[in-house]
Amino acid sequence: MTPRASSAKTGRMDTLLNRLHASLDARRLPCGGWPFLRGSIQMALEPTCLALMALRLDRTANAQVLLNAQCPDGSWGSFAADDEASGLTGLALLTLNALGMFQCAATRAADWLLDAKGREANWPWNWKFRITDTHVRFDPDKFGWPWEPAGCSWVVPTAFALLGLKQSFPCCRKGKIANRIQRGADMLQDRACPKGGWNAGNGVVYGTRMAPHVDATAIALLALRTEPKSRLIHRSLRWLEYQAGSCPAAWSLAWSILALDAYDLPVLPLQRRLVNVVEPHETCDAATLAVVALALDCTVASNPFEVVA
Amino acid sequence: MTSRAGLGGSLGTAARTANSLPFLVPRYDCDRRPARSRVAILPVTEYSEKLSDVLWKGLELFNPSVTGKSVLLKPNLVDYVPGAAINTHPLLIVAAAECFRRLGAKRVTVAEGPGHQRDTQLVLRATALEQHLKEQRIRFVDLNRDDVVKVRLRAGYSRLKHLWLPRTALEADFIVSMPKVKTHHWSGVTLSMKNMFGVVPGVKYGWPKNLLHWRGIQQSIVDLAATVPIHFVIADAIVCMEGNGPLTGTARRLDRIVLSDDPVAADATCARLMGLVPERVHHITETAKFLGNMLFDRIEQLAAAVVPPRASFETLPEFEHLCSNYRAEV
Repeated sequence: MTPRASSAKTGRMDTLLNRLHASLDARRLPCGGWPFLRGSIQMALEPTCLALMALRLDRTANAQVLLNAQCPDGSWGSFAADDEASGLTGLALLTLNALGMFQCAATRAADWLLDAKGREANWPWNWKFRITDTHVRFDPDKFGWPWEPAGCSWVVPTAFALLGLKQSFPCCRKGKIANRIQRGADMLQDRACPKGGWNAGNGVVYGTRMAPHVDATAIALLALRTEPKSRLIHRSLRWLEYQAGSCPAAWSLAWSILALDAYDLPVLPLQRRLVNVVEPHETCDAATLAVVALALDCTVASNPFEVVA
Repeated sequence: MTSRAGLGGSLGTAARTANSLPFLVPRYDCDRRPARSRVAILPVTEYSEKLSDVLWKGLELFNPSVTGKSVLLKPNLVDYVPGAAINTHPLLIVAAAECFRRLGAKRVTVAEGPGHQRDTQLVLRATALEQHLKEQRIRFVDLNRDDVVKVRLRAGYSRLKHLWLPRTALEADFIVSMPKVKTHHWSGVTLSMKNMFGVVPGVKYGWPKNLLHWRGIQQSIVDLAATVPIHFVIADAIVCMEGNGPLTGTARRLDRIVLSDDPVAADATCARLMGLVPERVHHITETAKFLGNMLFDRIEQLAAAVVPPRASFETLPEFEHLCSNYRAEV
């Protein structure tokens, strides 16, 4: 490709990025947060976190909505009026880390995450999964974080919790912190699909291999970025690269870009594909718009899902 | 019979007895059963544009009153695995939308919250449903991400008092459950009532909606069916799934679609068409006590008769007792 053609493509990416930012701005609720769907009025945690990171503007003012929504125990609910801890509390911590300057709220969130765990971590359930409930293949000693209180560990909440904690404690991890992060990382590796990649939570059910999902694989790989390179990570990266090449959906493709970028793999061809896959005014979901915006400028600005060893 | 087989049979019987315990005491608010229910089994051998005509003729048998109403079509879209008969076929969904528009519906919306895949757009695109909906200008709502409202449940089998449910489903005047007829590794079968797990929002309960599993799948199906009314059923039983459903089973043809104005009658009929015994499926027997009709003499068959297959649908060993030819080893 000639430099001129290349610059034209980059220009299309910039144009789309501007439209995505404008679209996100327009969908912002008076409370400062975002709902998932266009026309909705209920602030939801996931689009709010992703949009705050995507807009990367006026950090102090933007973060207020997250600070207001934090529960007294340090967790966040999934949406306005939800008074139970959400499995996306890790994402909220990660967002505070990206916005910076909110040490107190971030510490409370990290403390909550250090204490939270999937149901299989409790001994009666641990024994149940070892002895009677064995249709789903997993090691209950390796536990992560649940979607909602008292649930089992699942891949996406665990990956976000790990990302939040790893960013909050980038070095010199000891004792409880080191153990909790290690357990979470072990859980992700235990629940992987047999040929690499991750789906919602388990690789084998009733003896049958489950197929991985693109977005869950990408988010899990982001969380495992600082773990020793293993065959599983290598195979999962290869699988993700292959799937991203033909992925028809903006959400999954954007997450793939963010994960591959974190592993220093080339993403420009995928970013160009992403431009053709997404149309802001046809996309109902603000979380998708935000993650697409993050994927388009992750190589120029920064990748907020990156963790350093 | 060996002593080991005898022990296995006894354990299986004990497990089934334990599973029926939550249903010993009725936990519903009132008896809402119609005096009689209507079902139409329509022979269809392929997914094509002709589905619309077949469905229209079938709906004429019922003449559902939807004029000026908002109709919500709730298909079964769980995940996308190439070549697998997991989801309600897009052509059936679009045909249903077309028919309800012709019947005078004020608005037809297709809405679903996939239980396994977080990327709903991926499922819509990969199955080509998105393109069909676009061409026909049919609105789609992702129920996993819709605004939610806290709702008191109208039955108490799961011991959950409330669930957060999506506003779009709660505000619809007429809900059509459009299941893919499948066996299911946790609930035995997944039909029109189990299909309603898709209205439980992932934004609150995650992917999959694990809370419902912990509270008992059969119990949760009953509570949800009691709370979110299903006004009509259009079941995709053309290519179904047997074995380790709902995701990794084997395709099995029944070459039919099943219509009904009663979800209990629809599910009982679908189970019979699968060669299974609805009286052995807990959520069907329990809802037959207060929501709808399961017995032959309370179901009027408007089209073809119920003809069970020569061989029952294959199930996992835990659900072998659902098969009509099952004999307990006791």
